[in-house]
Amino acid sequence: MVHGLDTVGTASEAVSPEDTAGFERFIAPINYIVVVFSSVALVIASFVLSYSVASRYFFHFSTDWQDEFSVFLIVGAVFMSSAAVQARRGHVAIEVVSHMMPPRANHIRLFLVDVASLIFCAYFCWKSWLLLHEAIVEGFRTGSTWQPPLWIPYSLMTCGMLLLSIQLLLQVANHMARWKKPV
Amino acid sequence: MSILSIGLLYGGSTLLVMFAGMPIAFALGAVATIFMIAFMPSSSVDTITQNVYEEMASITLLSIPLFILKGSAIGRSRAGQDLYGALHAWLHRIPGGLGIANVFACALFAAMAGSSPATCSAIGSAGIPEMRKHGYSGGFAAGIIAAGGTLGILLPPSITMILYAVAAEQSLGRLFLAAIGPALLLVALFTVYAMWRFRREYVHAKAAYEKSGTYSEILRVDELSLRDKFALLPRVLPFIVLLTGVMIALYGGFATPSETAGLGAVLALILIAVIYSVWSPRDLEPILVATLRESTMLMLIIGMSLLYSYVMSYLHISQSTAEWIVSLHLSRWVLLTTILLMVVVLGFFLPPVSIILMTAPIILPPLRAAEFDLIWFGVIMTIVMEMGLIHPPVGLNIFVINNIAPDIPLRDVMWGVLPFVGLMILGVVILCFVPGIATWFSDLVMGPAIVSK
Repeated sequence: MVHGLDTVGTASEAVSPEDTAGFERFIAPINYIVVVFSSVALVIASFVLSYSVASRYFFHFSTDWQDEFSVFLIVGAVFMSSAAVQARRGHVAIEVVSHMMPPRANHIRLFLVDVASLIFCAYFCWKSWLLLHEAIVEGFRTGSTWQPPLWIPYSLMTCGMLLLSIQLLLQVANHMARWKKPV
Repeated sequence: MSILSIGLLYGGSTLLVMFAGMPIAFALGAVATIFMIAFMPSSSVDTITQNVYEEMASITLLSIPLFILKGSAIGRSRAGQDLYGALHAWLHRIPGGLGIANVFACALFAAMAGSSPATCSAIGSAGIPEMRKHGYSGGFAAGIIAAGGTLGILLPPSITMILYAVAAEQSLGRLFLAAIGPALLLVALFTVYAMWRFRREYVHAKAAYEKSGTYSEILRVDELSLRDKFALLPRVLPFIVLLTGVMIALYGGFATPSETAGLGAVLALILIAVIYSVWSPRDLEPILVATLRESTMLMLIIGMSLLYSYVMSYLHISQSTAEWIVSLHLSRWVLLTTILLMVVVLGFFLPPVSIILMTAPIILPPLRAAEFDLIWFGVIMTIVMEMGLIHPPVGLNIFVINNIAPDIPLRDVMWGVLPFVGLMILGVVILCFVPGIATWFSDLVMGPAIVSK
């Protein structure tokens, strides 16, 4: 089924097999901290934009940094929390076939899907790192009057994709551990 | 390879990985990346992440998480129930008033929260039990809520409209204003239907009572005092005035969409803190976590969809398809009907956000060539996608309803919803004949469009 914009909570991932439990213990708190910071970032962005309306309306200040500052906060929050969302399988997919396949084939399908997602995210992460590196070396800045350095959002994007790749690696490892020890 | 075969391969592989169950965001990104590596110069592959970042770093798109924050703050407070209770107290004397109160509550809530499933669960969790207690059939009650909830993607601040504005390069303020008239039209259609259906169920119940003495709750007339009418207003009015009034004023041009979104989120957080004392970190946590989860999921889909359509246009797939459609010389209305049918079919599988971003580069040029007003079309397309949220097989709202009222059989829900799908089709037809319903209000507020092509 397609779950579009639902806020209904998705079930959390089943308890991971022992082989990967230590790994899980390591990444779960990181995800929690990231979620807290990202939430705060969204709220700060809301206040910054409200301030921008107020300052323009009441004091006739021109707004220069508010938009970009909010962009950095929100883009950062989105990329950084993508691993936490993946941990709860919150990235929506079309699940029509899962109802038509026998359980064993379905497990293989899920495994392949996770491997493919992992490869894509790892590649994207690597490319983000190259971009970040270039931005630091060349000192890229945005084209606005405020001119903040671009390594700030790029590093958030790279870190977020790295976390997401690690999360996917963990889920792939979980699949394999489950195969070794059939329940 | 010819453009045709690349195009077919592109579409085919996308369908394959999506139906294999790969998350939509990663599926779109992966297909786009593979085709970039295979068919595009390596220099463009190197800028892939920069591309995604620059598409996503648009301040208009980033208003989406803030609108979601505003919606989930309101959706997770008691505002929905109170709004519904207040409307019920005022409308209960009208035949079918309870159903009408639900339609209105959905519309008002949708305008505050901007999310269709959130509207369904907030109004439905109070409204469905109440309607059933009063003898409404399960399917009818579910239909009202499911259909009312879809107004969430039509009324401002609708996330799908934001994406359409970005994809079609149209003014978001104008688009938001243009949606108001058609939304009121749908509310009117739903209301008339609710009254008629109530009348029918009432007559049936009355006949059954006179014949066999089986009493139905639908025959009972509620008596609510003047006090009931005013009891909830102090809690409800601030929400309506601040969140719809202020927002509509801002869309008129005082603030950018993202500023409106930020201010809306702040106002919503302040209102739930003051009125419902939701302010401690523990109270706010579920709101923020839900916001983050939904925003991240959506923004990644949006970023990857934009990469996907960038590759599609770089490889001339979208242009060629669009030119091909234009060269068919279909009559205007055949073209429109075909495109809308395609949107309906896509709506079986994909959420509205991906439909807009993936199809816009293909369907908008032919529509522009056929001299359709793209603001008007945005409204029409949104209503058609609203239908996708409630029609079987996969209407999202149906499952939300199933969640909050599990005792109504899914079959009844689906049958209850179908008449509303019909009403929406009727709405689309009316808008085709009288486009002024959409364009009149935006032209009034913002002045006539400067040839909005």
